[in-house]
Amino acid sequence: MSGVSEGRLPEQSGERIERDSELSFTFDGREVSGLEGDTIGSALYANGQRTFSRSFKYHRRRGLLCCAGQCPNCLVAVDGAPGVRACTEPVREGMKVEHMNASPSLNFDVMRATDLVGGPFTPPGFYYKTFIRPRRFWPLYEKVLRHAAGLGKLRKSQPEREWRTEYRRRHADVLVVGGGAAGLNAAATAAELGADVVLADEGPEPGGRLLAEGGVTYARELVERARRAGVEILPNAPALGSFDGLVPVWQGDTLHQIRAQRQIFATGAIEQPLLFPGNDLPGVMLSGGARRLIGMYAVQPGARAVVATVDDRGLHAALALIDAGVEVVCVADLRERANGSAAGALQRMNVELLSGSTVLEARGRGELDSVVIGPPGANEGGRTFGCDLLVVSGGSAPATSLIAQAGGKTSYDEARGHFALAHVPDAVHVAGEVTGHAELEAAERSGMAAGADAAHALGFGDAQSRERADAERERLSATRASDSSVAVPPPVTSERDGKCFACLCEDVTAKDIHLSVEEGYDSIELSKRYTTTTMGPCQGRMCQLPAVRLMAKETGTSMADVGTTTPRPPWHAVPLGAFAGRPFEPAKRSSIHARHRELGANVMWAGDWRRAYDYGDPKAEAMAVHKAAGLIDVSTLGKLIVQGPDAGEFLDRLYPNRFSNLKPGRIRYGVIASDAGRIMDDGTICRLDDESFYVTTTSSGAGAIYDWFTWWLADWQLDVQIVDMTQGLSAVNLAGPRARAIMGRVTELDCSAEAFTYLDGKQAEVAGVPCLILRIGFVGEVGYEIHCPAAQGEHLWDALMDAGRELGVKPFGLEPQRLLRLQKLHILIGQDTDSESNPFGAAMSWIVKLDKEQDFIGKWALQHYENEQLETTLVGFTLQNGHVPTEGAVVMPENGSPMGQVTSARYSEKLGRVIGMAWVPAALAKDGARITISDEDKRFEGEVQTSPFYDPDGEILRS
Amino acid sequence: MSSLAFLSPGSSVTSRSPMEPGAAAAGAVFEERDGWKVAVSFPDEDLSRVGFADMSHLGKLEIQGDVAAVTGHDLKRGSALRADGAWFCPYSAQRAVVLCSPADTASLRDRLGAAAAGAPSLSSVIDTTTAQGALTIAGPLAGELFARFTALDLRPQVTPVFGFRPGSVARTGGAILCEAPDRYLMLFGAALGQYVWTVVADAAEHLGGGPVGVDALPSLDAAEAPDA
Repeated sequence: MSGVSEGRLPEQSGERIERDSELSFTFDGREVSGLEGDTIGSALYANGQRTFSRSFKYHRRRGLLCCAGQCPNCLVAVDGAPGVRACTEPVREGMKVEHMNASPSLNFDVMRATDLVGGPFTPPGFYYKTFIRPRRFWPLYEKVLRHAAGLGKLRKSQPEREWRTEYRRRHADVLVVGGGAAGLNAAATAAELGADVVLADEGPEPGGRLLAEGGVTYARELVERARRAGVEILPNAPALGSFDGLVPVWQGDTLHQIRAQRQIFATGAIEQPLLFPGNDLPGVMLSGGARRLIGMYAVQPGARAVVATVDDRGLHAALALIDAGVEVVCVADLRERANGSAAGALQRMNVELLSGSTVLEARGRGELDSVVIGPPGANEGGRTFGCDLLVVSGGSAPATSLIAQAGGKTSYDEARGHFALAHVPDAVHVAGEVTGHAELEAAERSGMAAGADAAHALGFGDAQSRERADAERERLSATRASDSSVAVPPPVTSERDGKCFACLCEDVTAKDIHLSVEEGYDSIELSKRYTTTTMGPCQGRMCQLPAVRLMAKETGTSMADVGTTTPRPPWHAVPLGAFAGRPFEPAKRSSIHARHRELGANVMWAGDWRRAYDYGDPKAEAMAVHKAAGLIDVSTLGKLIVQGPDAGEFLDRLYPNRFSNLKPGRIRYGVIASDAGRIMDDGTICRLDDESFYVTTTSSGAGAIYDWFTWWLADWQLDVQIVDMTQGLSAVNLAGPRARAIMGRVTELDCSAEAFTYLDGKQAEVAGVPCLILRIGFVGEVGYEIHCPAAQGEHLWDALMDAGRELGVKPFGLEPQRLLRLQKLHILIGQDTDSESNPFGAAMSWIVKLDKEQDFIGKWALQHYENEQLETTLVGFTLQNGHVPTEGAVVMPENGSPMGQVTSARYSEKLGRVIGMAWVPAALAKDGARITISDEDKRFEGEVQTSPFYDPDGEILRS
Repeated sequence: MSSLAFLSPGSSVTSRSPMEPGAAAAGAVFEERDGWKVAVSFPDEDLSRVGFADMSHLGKLEIQGDVAAVTGHDLKRGSALRADGAWFCPYSAQRAVVLCSPADTASLRDRLGAAAAGAPSLSSVIDTTTAQGALTIAGPLAGELFARFTALDLRPQVTPVFGFRPGSVARTGGAILCEAPDRYLMLFGAALGQYVWTVVADAAEHLGGGPVGVDALPSLDAAEAPDA
């Protein structure tokens, strides 16, 4: 294919192509020439291509139909991306265009056999009927079926499927959807009154029907007026839906999330096809499609045409065809009598005008070669006309889907044969042909009125502008919605042989709708789900109205009774990737994170933090803590300042144990229970002074506990204030027999066992950094948990590592910490407990002070738990055979069903055996009891231990 | 040491921003200023489209309680006040954050703390300087940059100069202060600094922008509210 000028008409007024700017691309490997401004569709059509795709199920040839991005007929793959509409996608130099859904080629598709021989065997849902047995073969069937049907193939290579997409949040006073005459007037008017306006239009250039109907210059003037007024115009940007005021608009690689206080829908109307046998043949084209090819791209849509219409739209198209040099052999107008200037003009040109007639059948092998014209319903006879182009216009359907998603309602308009708007929700305005104002002047007036109304509702404008808007509305109301008469077409024009497609996307025929009703799917919603009508790429634009007509006919009910299906987003086909946007994965990192990386840490997610799992050898790291000293970054702990005169009482109310009697400078462990007495979190609380406490929580519980605290504070109205310092403070835990010696090198604080005892909390400078030092020991050795401003956390870490280097200090990560704490039977909330665990079952009855004078959260429930016989209890256990059970392995009694589960298990180098924690039957919660653990289909004998495995009396911790 | 002294960075050790790794990777030139290691310039820095500067060194003081009594200002929700070189940004009538230069943080903390002690109801001032990271985003495309990661409405008619908008930024809790036309200061959790830097740098790059040093930002000394 080549030759840019061949097939092009002389220059058309307002054509979009630039004749001096030639572009080259390939279609199925063949080089094709186009012009700047061409779409893929117009360029290919100008080069003689008539078949653009193969249909979804029957693999029938499909050609250009709407040329407006409304139908599925021209879907192609562009540079590997499937599902691109050739009729709206601009041509780019070097682009690689390929057909979809046909093999081995577009012209010879072996799957066409389904159309030729498979018709009776492929009713709706045939795959579930025909391929149901034997059931075990279904995965194979499914694979074959998925290959046979579909809407293109994604590239196999992941990198080739990726492209950058953006989310762009845009607030506006007014959003106008639709860039035709009405939308442009609405946008300009609202903006001129001072509103911040965004206009989104599906087409590559705003202007709507003006572009194809000789109004390009005027359309561009309207665009310029809107731009001057400050309207942000988004071309090639279909609105996808309406979600409570949020309208996503897809534009290339950007998904605009537009939140406007007022929305104006000027979405126009969609020209409808007629239903007759052969209505999908290449060569059958909507009148709008033919006019776009001529007016915008100077492409002659055919040589010899027949026009079939139900209103003046087809007559105007016939005139445009004649102007373009097409021989119009006849115009079939379903109306009994067509008046008006267009009909007169055709008569003067001696075009045969057949009133009360329509197209009964289209014929051709591969492409259209003739049509039969006659009165509707004539199953025999009729006049046959040879032609290569059949231009049809089956009336229009207002594009109300987005308005309906915003809360609008439609009702059936008997006179015009479509569903028209009956209710428009608050904050939504409508304008143009979607409201029935199809003529240019009326569309413009309705746009101006809608724009003014939207702006006025937001407080823009003045008395004069309101007067002007009122006058505009009066003039509009004096205008008939449309002065063109319409003949409502029958569901199908004839019952002749041949497939008559109601839904081009999904290859659903009129017969399929009939079958669906026969099988009991006799409502439009059920039929939709059964036949998949309206569920294809056109989203019902082309098939909703025909399907409703067919359903009314088949069920013997009225169109109004049948109603429409629920319009759901997306209103326009969109790649899933557009919704992905740029991924946001908020990751918290401690101020020491870079050091961990330098030290070779394996980093993992721990809640929403990135943490050092280990530094390559977790066992050695744990042993270093026992033998010398280890340093771990625990900045992820939740850290709350709770202060005020009632701070002690506040904590007493939140925790089952007491804090009001905690002395300043001392620390106490606390478990937080829910109001159902279940364990929520744990941590330590250090009293800083009479009115200030420093509360730590688990890393993953920090946010929830802050919320819990503030929620209860709002309820109790105590004189307390809470500040979350989790991200503001770094914390490290220096632990091991040489920790004290290391501390002696970096602080002047007396860290002797006598001066700084276990569970003391002191403030001092460490390596010049102001710190709060907590003498606690989660890992079982003498330990100092040092908290400091995050901005100096890395300095503190470096200082401790430097000071401890010759004493053997090693960094240790999360994994060795888990082993070390397991040796002490220190629980991990969420690991060793679940949402049902209470302190009694978790062997922490000592922490529940039911005799506390202060009522506290969960007290009622905990009183009941205290008096109830426990079913299971959390205990330690050891295994002698070296097997480390899986966390979650089942604890079995001698006989019977599972009675518990392992929550933690590790091999301890220090202890030389496997240790763990498990929930076991309460009767077994005693030292020396034997338990059986079932893991990986094997059983292992273990022994219960209720005291810590390491330093059971806490002598080391306290030393 | 007072009971909350460990919340404030010590003066003998250099403080570092959570975004320092990102700035260093982008070629920042650092200087120590008022105890902080500050990115003062970047190669090829340019504010003609959009630029972002690490301002985490700004002092941040959280006031809870009787904000008016502590600050001496009647702060209106949604609008910050600039006085004595500091920003007073109200979250509510009972909570505000004060942003100031690092050199002024200690003295301002003490002064406000004294006022809090004398307030008629429980009031407090806590140094949260290290709890929050801060980025100034400036340039004609600043609003467009924000549109890539926040749904906060930063149009001038909604967020005028001195407007203060707490909300979600890049799917984390944060706040945005409009310091001047086309110039915003964004606050967010310090531990998210590296993440936020990545998000902002990525979005800025695709808008033709990049990081800038604090020296590239015009002085705000003359910053005035539009109606001042």
